[in-house]
Amino acid sequence: MSDNKNSFNLMDMIKRVLFTDFMKGLTITLGYNLSKSITLKYPDEEKWIPHRRWRGLHTLNRDASGKELCVACELCSKACPTGCITVIPMEDDTGRGIADRVAKVWKVDLVRCFFCGYCEDACPTRALRLGREYELACTDSKCTVKEREELLKPQSVPESIEGGFIVKAKFEKTPEGIKVVPDLSNSKKRAW
Amino acid sequence: MMPDISTILEVLLIFVKVGVVTMILFGLPLPLTWLERKIAGHIQVRLGPWRVGPHGLLQPFADMIKLLFKEDIIPDKADKFLFKIAPLLSMVPAFAVFVAVPFGDKLMIPFINKEVTLYISDMNVGVLYILAISGLGIYGLILGGWASNSKYALLGGLRSSAQMISYEIAISFAAIGVVMIANSLSLVDIVNDQGNGILSWNIFYLPVGPVWFMIFFIASLAEINRIPFDLTEDEGTLASGFHTEYSGMRFAFFMLAEYIAMVTVSILSVIFFFGGWHSPLNIPLPIPPIFWLVAKVAAFIYFFMWIRFTLPRYRYDQLMTIGWKVLIPISLVNILITGLLRI
Amino acid sequence: MEQIFFYIFSILAIISAVMVVSVRNAVHSAFYLIVCFLQVAAIFILLRAPFLAAVQVFVYVGAVMVLFLFAVMVLDIGKEQFKEHLHTQAIPAIVTVIALFATMGYLVSQGRITVPLGKFTEEALSKNTEVIGKSLFTQYIFPFEVVSLLLLIALVGAIVLVLKEKKGKQA
Repeated sequence: MSDNKNSFNLMDMIKRVLFTDFMKGLTITLGYNLSKSITLKYPDEEKWIPHRRWRGLHTLNRDASGKELCVACELCSKACPTGCITVIPMEDDTGRGIADRVAKVWKVDLVRCFFCGYCEDACPTRALRLGREYELACTDSKCTVKEREELLKPQSVPESIEGGFIVKAKFEKTPEGIKVVPDLSNSKKRAW
Repeated sequence: MMPDISTILEVLLIFVKVGVVTMILFGLPLPLTWLERKIAGHIQVRLGPWRVGPHGLLQPFADMIKLLFKEDIIPDKADKFLFKIAPLLSMVPAFAVFVAVPFGDKLMIPFINKEVTLYISDMNVGVLYILAISGLGIYGLILGGWASNSKYALLGGLRSSAQMISYEIAISFAAIGVVMIANSLSLVDIVNDQGNGILSWNIFYLPVGPVWFMIFFIASLAEINRIPFDLTEDEGTLASGFHTEYSGMRFAFFMLAEYIAMVTVSILSVIFFFGGWHSPLNIPLPIPPIFWLVAKVAAFIYFFMWIRFTLPRYRYDQLMTIGWKVLIPISLVNILITGLLRI
Repeated sequence: MEQIFFYIFSILAIISAVMVVSVRNAVHSAFYLIVCFLQVAAIFILLRAPFLAAVQVFVYVGAVMVLFLFAVMVLDIGKEQFKEHLHTQAIPAIVTVIALFATMGYLVSQGRITVPLGKFTEEALSKNTEVIGKSLFTQYIFPFEVVSLLLLIALVGAIVLVLKEKKGKQA
């Protein structure tokens, strides 16, 4: 303030009297007010389908003939920095897996997992992938541990879809809990 | 002595008017909170309330239910009496102001064939009354802040008292300017003085009109504690200022008073500078005058909210500088010019 | 009807005035003083002086009392101090009050308090802002100017005091 005292600037004075800076600010906010909102209307109307590179809930894959790819080598559990993956192998020659060694137990504690993806990298048969399921909240502590049987089910978003867009979705309340069901055929690009 | 039937009718009419105005004022903060959050949302490229009801329209009711059932906490070392009475002290003046606020001139009620004035009372000291009563609302803030026995609340109360004293002067000067232009202290006369189209409005009373309006507007922003002058509830430094310790319904009363004060200031700006219920142009369509008043007030309320989400908060010394070193000298000069113009 | 209102307001005014001096908390007594001022303003309205009522609320309640409260809060006067303060003055205060009431009672009983209405009719009084303004700027212009000069001196004095303090701080 004290520096400007001597140099009296007429332009500044006029600007101050006419509130030009104030008007400038107001026009900017008015522009934003009239522009379209970028809020995703999740979970009521829209849902974000992540890219393939997304690291969500673990999935265990099968090969083309439906055999489990997992050979229970335990590399994923060794690679895991938090030690949240438990693998117990067993012998099996009924053709459940691609080899005669399959997992008896394969479970992951999602409370400890921080989705780094090391397990995915360590997997020699590409049986384990971090999928695109990201709605992992639940109401009791039991459901934070995911077992093999559940992880073997196919994902809600198939691998063929590239992702990275918004789809219309429906918010469903069922006795088992709440769910956001995406309608994968009705997609649009994100606004931001 | 038995009062005759017309006197009873008059008294009854006043009661009805007071009842209607009070009901409207109690209801008004509900849509205003919704609007404020919606505008906040859209200016920040969000949606605002959305989940409760279509476009979040039922959000205020949800908030109301929440506030009603929330525990009313009184701090242990608070001054119980003043703590309890402070929200009322800030709410009652906010309502009492509307006794003198005119919403229109006269209205013929078709069935009983009686002319009804659209104001509760046209006092000949209307302007003074409004300024005096709206100034009382500050006691709720000061006493509430003091009674909370919390340093944040106390600082908020102190700030609000100093701020109020500084800006009351500027706002009174602006009102004096309007009174000088209209030659009357009655608000109905002030409005009727601006009845000949848009150019007779006080804001176009060149060269002093716009200056008076700017002074009035800035000072009233400070009076109702809105951004950029909401130093009394400065979240950044004072938690939430004078109402830090309040919860539940008592907090709701403060909010109610604040929103009603915003409506008051909007109506006053419209009455003082924008021709009240008169239409800007002579349109041959039969639009009721109350429509113009409501439309103008709504525009002002939007403007207040728009400013809130545009400007940052002033520092406290800047606030005082604006009040004492800018607004008051300008008003003094402006009074002189207005006086010369009115000779 | 007016009588009833007068009694309500005056009783409330007296009660709150007594509370002003009897409560120990400075902020409480400021609060009761506000109540008292408001009752006096209401009595002004009953006396057909709405302008004075508005000014009473505006100046005393709206501005002076805010300053009072501000000062009280900043100074933080302890409760004990107040208590003692009252005790030393109790006896002279009671004597003075009794003397005052005796004088007032005597005057009222003699009918000296009532003053004739003067040259103003009811109708002129309803426009009493105008009446006050006119007499203030014509008949009483000299005292009015003297008072404004006094206020100006006080204002300048306050600024001078503050400026001196500032200079002292800088040096």
